[in-house]
Amino acid sequence: MKPTLSSLPFEQADCSDDSGSVWPRASFLLEAGKYGRILRIALVERLAYRLDFILSTLLRFLPMLTTILLWLAVYAGAGRLSEGELGGFSLNEMISYLLLVHISRMFSSMPGLAQGIARDIRDGNLKKYLLQPISLLPYLLAYRAAHKVAYITMTAVPYAVLFFLCRDFFAGWPSAPVLLAYAVSLVLGFLVGFFFEAALGMLGFWFLEVSSFLYVVGTLNFFLSGHMFPFDLLPATFAHILKNLPFQYLAYFPAAIFLNKVPQDMLFSALATEAAWAIALALLAGWLYRCGLRRYSAYGG
Amino acid sequence: MRALLHYARVWLAFARFGLMRELSFRGNFLIKVSVEILWLAILLIFYDMVFTHTRVVAEWSRDEYLFFVGCYYALGGVIETFFLINCSEFSELVRTGDLDFYLLLPANEQFLITTRDLDWATLPNIFLGAGVSIVALVRLGWPVELGRLLLFLILFGCGVALAYSFLVILTAASVWLVRNQSLYEVWWLFTTFMRYPREIFTGRWAYPIGWFFSFVVPVIIVTNVPARMMVKALEPELAVYTVLASVVLVAISGKIFRLSLQHYRSASS
Repeated sequence: MKPTLSSLPFEQADCSDDSGSVWPRASFLLEAGKYGRILRIALVERLAYRLDFILSTLLRFLPMLTTILLWLAVYAGAGRLSEGELGGFSLNEMISYLLLVHISRMFSSMPGLAQGIARDIRDGNLKKYLLQPISLLPYLLAYRAAHKVAYITMTAVPYAVLFFLCRDFFAGWPSAPVLLAYAVSLVLGFLVGFFFEAALGMLGFWFLEVSSFLYVVGTLNFFLSGHMFPFDLLPATFAHILKNLPFQYLAYFPAAIFLNKVPQDMLFSALATEAAWAIALALLAGWLYRCGLRRYSAYGG
Repeated sequence: MRALLHYARVWLAFARFGLMRELSFRGNFLIKVSVEILWLAILLIFYDMVFTHTRVVAEWSRDEYLFFVGCYYALGGVIETFFLINCSEFSELVRTGDLDFYLLLPANEQFLITTRDLDWATLPNIFLGAGVSIVALVRLGWPVELGRLLLFLILFGCGVALAYSFLVILTAASVWLVRNQSLYEVWWLFTTFMRYPREIFTGRWAYPIGWFFSFVVPVIIVTNVPARMMVKALEPELAVYTVLASVVLVAISGKIFRLSLQHYRSASS
């Protein structure tokens, strides 16, 4: 469970009223300063619970370890430990993939975001975004970005150690264009993950309780994003379908870029498709928010 | 004996109240159950996908591994149904100071805090896991003897006791960590060692890790010992170790829980 957004303290900016708008309209610098302060406060909040954070970070390495060992056993069982492939992935590529999806999820996972939005709608706390000079989606984007910065900064060292220990599984660094495309795919993955979850949270305007539905989506997401294993191991038809859904950008796609599974001449178009999904989901989340506000009655609070 | 009966009556009252609450939101309850079925389906798809590429994983054949999956799922179902939902709320009780209300009640604190509610939506997991295990046994053509079945049930019970003890220790940590709100996640991460056969821990660096998490922090043996005993071979030394470890760990976790309560500073007063 994540902290409720309403429990966060933040300085109130004295800028013009843009209540109800999805994105800020006033002076860009003033707005940037405001959301920059939110980012800083969220960072401080994140670092306040260091022990809890360190414990969960350390435990997060355990599934990586057991998954690697499981796939070593699978390849050994198939007699393809030293050479040969399963679904177009050699053993080294498979282990690299399973490590890289954790980096993908580090950017794209948004625990508690949809739940928090739905709760704010249900409890009536949403009205603070309507009364104060702050907009819901940019606020949450800045808040999430801060959490990601804090998390990535604090886990950089353990992840660096892990990747150093596992360096033999990697075929080396990819070329500069691929590396750049990888970085872009991760940032876009963050946006796809954020706006997808935000759009789900907006369902709270229409349904009183959405937690069970979110749980279904979360469970499916684990499979559909390619977090468990690369789609290429599935029959071709299923793999083709999954590679055309936006969920792939949350785990599979960035890892596939890093491992050169996306041909270089298709990198630009593939990233453009990912960007299009991010924009489409942002528009969807904004549209749902505007539609939802029309039926919002500000109960409770 | 009278005290035991009293606690059994209290627990039944908790269970009845929990069921009434769940049935007040039947739609939500059905969705929660369907999520659990969905998760089992994903696990089975993964299992099937793995065995389309290989015939054996770490000395476990397709059907033996299926039994292991069922066994793990049933054991996880027991923990989730009876304890996890309660333990996950403990950090919030500590943070808000609401733990005071439980400490003032005339009953054992650990009993109250870890068993006061039942997650009825995960109860079917126990039967689903058992069903998967039975399918595996049928496919193995296994003649289930009474003695082996009884021994399996004893070791399965020890596995539950071990898992419960680890859960209590992680729960107690909430007092020192202040915010251990992600117990569901922490528990899922920790139980990764219960999900796979012990034999995957082979090799120069993996073997010591497997040994450490089998004998020092005995989490690997939780599912491995009962499942292995049923479909592979009984390892008497390991079975005895599992029984002893479960007794010792239940006692240690109880001590740690009491220690954590002694360090509790009520937030509300």
